[in-house]
Amino acid sequence: MHAEKQKHDFEPKIVAFVCTWCTYAGADLAGTSRMQYPSNVRVLKFPCTGRIDPVFILRAFQRGADGVLVSGCHPGDCHYMAGNLHARRRFAAFRGLLDFVGVDLNRLQFSWVSAAEGGKWVDVVTELTERIRAMGPMEEFKALETEECWSGALATPELQEAYKAI
Amino acid sequence: MNNTAQKLETATPLDTSCYAAVTDAIRKEASRILTDGTVTAVVGYKAGRRAGTTMPAIVTDPAKATELIFSPACVNNLALYLTKAKKDVVKKGRVAIVAKGCDMRALAGLMGESQLKREEIFIIGVVCAGVKGSGAVNGEPLTTGNLARKCRECTVHTPEGADLTAGTLPSLPELTPVEAEEMARLDAMTPAERWAFWKEQFSRCVRCMACRQVCPFCYCEQCLCDKNRPQAVESTPRPAGNMAWHIVRAMHLAGRCAGCAECERVCPMDIPLNLLNRKMALEMKELYGFEAGLTPVEKGPLAEYKDNDDQSFIK
Repeated sequence: MHAEKQKHDFEPKIVAFVCTWCTYAGADLAGTSRMQYPSNVRVLKFPCTGRIDPVFILRAFQRGADGVLVSGCHPGDCHYMAGNLHARRRFAAFRGLLDFVGVDLNRLQFSWVSAAEGGKWVDVVTELTERIRAMGPMEEFKALETEECWSGALATPELQEAYKAI
Repeated sequence: MNNTAQKLETATPLDTSCYAAVTDAIRKEASRILTDGTVTAVVGYKAGRRAGTTMPAIVTDPAKATELIFSPACVNNLALYLTKAKKDVVKKGRVAIVAKGCDMRALAGLMGESQLKREEIFIIGVVCAGVKGSGAVNGEPLTTGNLARKCRECTVHTPEGADLTAGTLPSLPELTPVEAEEMARLDAMTPAERWAFWKEQFSRCVRCMACRQVCPFCYCEQCLCDKNRPQAVESTPRPAGNMAWHIVRAMHLAGRCAGCAECERVCPMDIPLNLLNRKMALEMKELYGFEAGLTPVEKGPLAEYKDNDDQSFIK
């Protein structure tokens, strides 16, 4: 019953930071219900969206993520009473900051997905994957990683030439 | 665009007559409160070794109160010396502090975060017509050209809520808000242009951490950015780590920063760090109606929440 697998030129890497109580269970439900969603998403489980530090998002981008998804319980459903409400404020501020330093906010998606919303999880992941596929790879942070970094410059044509000569 | 290079064409001298009166008032008050035992120390400014400069001073002897001064070169935010990070610098007991309006905002912020108790400090508020920017030459008089960028848009020339407010404010000219204009210029850019701008700025960063050391709100005993197991932010001065450090710094100060712009002043590479702080302050104002002020608030905007907070960005 597998849908025809389409071949794409670019498969984006998407990191999903999810809360264990809602979105992780929602993704699990999508899986056990045999719903199909892109395998581009790498799910990382956290106790709560309140545990997800903006640093994690930066780190994901630096380490080669093309998109980041942060997902947790709907307001009022937090297992820890208000973790997602604190996170909501923090990420609203963080979005403003990222926009100010020039990061395209289309690469960063926030969502509320409850444990019963396997379908919504599929929608969110599919839409984000398609959007980022259309946008192409995230080059900005990767360029920073390799810049002024001796190991990053090891693949220059001159060096390749030299390696071949050995 | 940066502080040092910024020399405005028409530099007119500013009225600095109030500084002498402020100096007298500080000395008199410092001598009085040290003599009668109200405080054990006064944190203020004294003349620096080179003419026209000042440096922070901690005075414990009433006879030495005459060393204290206030001048346009008193750039430091002394609130830093009252934080837990500097707990060995000032000895125990009630301490007096000389504070400009911007420094008093930092004091209010620290009180809100339970780092200070109002009854443990004695605030000598000073009326301030502005201090010099980082590019100013020692000894030259204060003009509209060498005034610090933050002072061009100051709203707290006369601080309120101090135990004593020294001096009276002279009439000040209307100045162009250089920093607000820079913010508007950045906001009008496309994200790619902004990224290029900040990439260029942060590429100069040498990670001396002066911006952290001088910040009254960076009082954590261990900074996240110093940890290496696991390492959250690369600690070497390379582009990736620099970008991450400045984003993290701005994020950790969001809703806390008092806008004293000390980070920008001490930056040896002239990175316009206060633009980031201002951006976060604007966000906090727009989203949660919060503005750093002179009255301590128990919970900052990122330490609390409301049920109806904006969530238009969340699907």
